[in-house]
Formats: sequence, structure tokens, C-alpha cells
Amino acid sequence: MTTTGWVLLALGAALVWWAVATYNRLVELRNRIANAFGQIDVQLKRRHDLVPNLVEVARAYLQHEAATLEAVIAARNQAQGAAAAARAAPTSAGALGTLASAEGLLGASLGRLMVVSEAYPELKADATMQQLSEELASTENRIGFARQAFNDQALDFNTAAQQFPALVVARLAGFAEAPMLQSTRSEEERAAPRVQFPGAAAKS
Amino acid sequence: MRFWDHQHDARSETRRLLLAFAVATVLLVLAVHASLVLAWWLMAALLPVHLPFPAGFLVANVGVSLLLVLGGWWVETSNLRAGGVKLARRVGARELRPGLAHAEQRLANVVDELCIAAHMPRPEIMVLPRVDAINAFAAGWDEQDAVLAVTQGALDHLTREELQGMVAHELSHLHEGDTRLKMRLAGMVFGLELVYNFGEELRERRGLAWWFGSAIMLAGLAGWLTGQILKAAVSRQREYLADARAVQWTRSRDGLGGVLRKVMAQRQALGQTAQAGPRRGGLAHPSVQHMLLVDAPAGLVLGGHWAARLAGRLDSHPGLGERVQRVYGRSMPPLPLAPVREPPERAHRAPGPESDPNAPSLASLVDPFARL
Repeated sequence: MTTTGWVLLALGAALVWWAVATYNRLVELRNRIANAFGQIDVQLKRRHDLVPNLVEVARAYLQHEAATLEAVIAARNQAQGAAAAARAAPTSAGALGTLASAEGLLGASLGRLMVVSEAYPELKADATMQQLSEELASTENRIGFARQAFNDQALDFNTAAQQFPALVVARLAGFAEAPMLQSTRSEEERAAPRVQFPGAAAKS
Repeated sequence: MRFWDHQHDARSETRRLLLAFAVATVLLVLAVHASLVLAWWLMAALLPVHLPFPAGFLVANVGVSLLLVLGGWWVETSNLRAGGVKLARRVGARELRPGLAHAEQRLANVVDELCIAAHMPRPEIMVLPRVDAINAFAAGWDEQDAVLAVTQGALDHLTREELQGMVAHELSHLHEGDTRLKMRLAGMVFGLELVYNFGEELRERRGLAWWFGSAIMLAGLAGWLTGQILKAAVSRQREYLADARAVQWTRSRDGLGGVLRKVMAQRQALGQTAQAGPRRGGLAHPSVQHMLLVDAPAGLVLGGHWAARLAGRLDSHPGLGERVQRVYGRSMPPLPLAPVREPPERAHRAPGPESDPNAPSLASLVDPFARL
């Protein structure tokens, strides 16, 4: 073989090596997005588990606010049911819509409970209640941060897949652009990424 | 704060500085050789007899200096990598006890939250119980060994949001491998210092050795000083990077900004009452100095020289004012230390004001996604 042949062979091998490395990098980044999406679900479950404890403590002080407490419990049960349904059928848009509105309802009823509890200083001073409201604040932060981490991972992936030389590999391998969670007020946008990563919810 | 831009700048600046560090090391080795050649020439000129130039002079010089630099690097690095938890204990930190104090539970929750935001495993959390100054540090060679320590002063004076900013800053040091990078650089500087020490030792012998020792010492001193300056410059860039990361993860400039401004206020109070300043505890320990959130003042005696020292090129941290300016985009006044919502355990012993107007309301705490 001539020198030119060897050089061409080496160049070809380097090109293939680079393409494989780029492909693997993109796959890794895409899986991280799926994992970040699973995190959101984990944190929503944490919220469902926390609510009954919160209501139990509040009930001792809030005898006159039974309606508010019942609304929270009902919203929580509804959200938990909807989450179970969505986990069973992760690609169903209907189940996801129900879950989205149920989570929104739960958030709103928790907010109402907290507004009501402002009027009860003994409740606010209760050590268990303080711990629970700290846990709840933490959980809400975790949900927010999990969504934010999802968007940051999606940004990492999109940047990596759209920069010039890697763009060629991404196009050839058919990597689609990762969507971001748009709204921070409603849960409806959960539907879009879940369709993108059907396995995510089942794994978590 | 345009945190993506700040992160990009800090990363590329770090790369440039590390390249400069490598160049400086090569230059030091060459400088040792050059100064030894110079010393030999001077000696040959002064002596009446003719001496032939020693064979293999370059190889021997380069070999010995490389042995010193790399050997010192290896020894110091293996000392430093003994473990983050061990190091934290040495400066007086203890494990977090979330069950005992509300503030510690809050810290544990904040770290968990930010580990989600940063997509990283949770480090070991520790508390420095006898330190009133607002500060924190991260240490550890890798993920298994990572530790994050927070002072009692920070737990007492910071709101939840500010605690988040502070924890996010320290998590960035762990996430970006800064703790490892800083240990490596410290080891490298120690290697450069060894060259100086070797020269000094050689100098103590009388006669010819004095010439050669002085030559090595001078080259070593220049190398060591350059190493220190570059190490400090790298460290400052990593601080900027961590500040930008903290703003990215918390999506709030008031978190970290509030911490820095409260530290400013604490420092000002320290300047006014030089005697009753915050206790620093073990934070002045050299191994944690460069890993702190804000550098610990060198001592109360130096209180007056503080501003001057900040400007120094050897400082491992940028000035507080400069950091606040980068976080907010403009300079901000110090934030007075307000009492944080009393944790329930303390309320029994010393009842404070029933409701603190500055404390965030429960409703604002649980409003889902309010912080985004």
C-alpha cells in the first residue's frame, strides 16, 4: 500500500472514531434528560406522601376549617390516583392531562391551607407543624429544581447536538431536539416530554 | 447576572492559567539550569585554573529539578487526598444532626434540593459548631469523599434562600472538580517550593556549594512566587465560576448575593469592634483556606490592612465587592444581619418576638414554583 493509502486509512479511522465518540456522548446526554425527567416524578410522589401527615397535624388546631382540610385530602387522593393512572399508561395524553390538573388542584388547595393556618398562631408554633412545613417547602423546591435540572440537561443536549461538527452525527443518527418545560405555572407541559421518553416514568 | 457567559469566561480563563502554570514549571526547570551555568561560569572565571565544562550538566540539572518538583507534587498531593471528612474533622467540624435542630434539618433539605438542581450525588454534610462567621467550605478528592461544611454562624444568620445560594456555590466547587484542582495546584506549588528549599540547604554548606545553592534558591524563589500567583489566579476564577453556578442553580441572585452582603456587614462590624469579632475557629487552617466561601481574615491584627490585602495578587478569593458586583450587575450595600425565624427548640429557652415581620410567610414558602 502506498503512503497516500495509509494516510487515507488513518484519516478514515480517526473520522469513524470521532463519530462513534460523538454519538456516544449524545446518547449519554439524552439519557440524562430522561433521568432528569424521572426526578420530577419522584418529587411529585414525595409531595403526595407528605400531605396526609400535614393534614393530621393541622386537624388538631383547625377544627373550624374542616372543609379546607377535606379539600386538600381530596385533591391529594385525586392526584395520587391520576399519577398511578399516568404511570400505567405513560403515553396516554388523556391520563397526563388529568394528572396535570390534579397536581395543579393539589398545589392550590395546599396554598389555601397555608393561608388559613396563618390565622392560627398555635398551629404555626407547633414544632411538628414547623417541621412539616419545612418539608413541604423543601418538596416544592425539589419539584421546581427537578424541572429546572430537566431544562438545563435539555439545553446541554441541544447545544451539543447543534454545534457544527457534532451536528452531522446528530442529523445522521436522527437525534431530535429535546423540548423544554415551558410554563412554570401549570403541569400540562409534562405531557410533551413524557411522550418523548416513554420509559422514564416506568423506571423511577 | 448573565451566568452562562460568566461560566464560559471563567472556564476559558482557567484553561489559560493552567497552560501558563505548565509553561512556568518548564521555565523554572530551565531557569535552574541557566542559573547553575551562570554560577559555574562565575566560578570558572574567578578560579585561576582552567576547568572543562561538566559533561551532562543539562541532563543532571533538569533531572534533579524535575525530580524535586514532581516528587514534591506527588508527596503533597497524596497527603492532601487523605480525605475530605478527615480534613473537615481536623478543623473542628462534626456531622450534621438533623433530628436535633430545625436549622440542621433545613440545611440537609437545602443540600438535597440543590443536589437535584445540580444533578449530583449528595456530599457528606458537616457543621462547624464554634464558628460565628458566615462561611462554608467544600473538600474532597472525589464524589465518595466529598464533604460540605457550614459554620454555625451561617445557620444562625442566613435565610433559607441565602442558605441555598451558599450551598449551591460550594456544590459547584465539588461538581466542577475544583477541590481536586486546587489540591493538585497546591501540590505543584509545594514541588516548586522544594526547589527553593533544596537551594537553601545547599547554601548552608560553605565554599563552592554556596554559589550553586544561591543560584538554585533564586530560580526556585521566582518559580515558587509565580506558582503562588498563578494558583491564586486560578482559584479566583473558580470562585467566579462557582458564583455563576450558584445563580444558575438557584435562579436567584438574592440568595448568594444576600450571603455575600451579610458577610460584608459582618466584616464591617468586625472592623469597628476589633476585639469582639466573630470567632474563626479552625477556618484559618491553611488546608481549608482556599476552599472557603469567603476567605477567612488572616487575623484581627491585620483588620486595618484588609482592603489592601484583598487587592493583592496572592489572594485566593476575589474581593467581596467585586463578587457582589458580578452577581447583581451593580454594586450593592452590605445587608444588615437580621435574626432569622427562631427554630422551635430555641423558642422554649429564650422566647423571641412572636412573629418576625421579615420572616417569609408560610404561604409564600409553599407556593409551588414561586421561586422559578
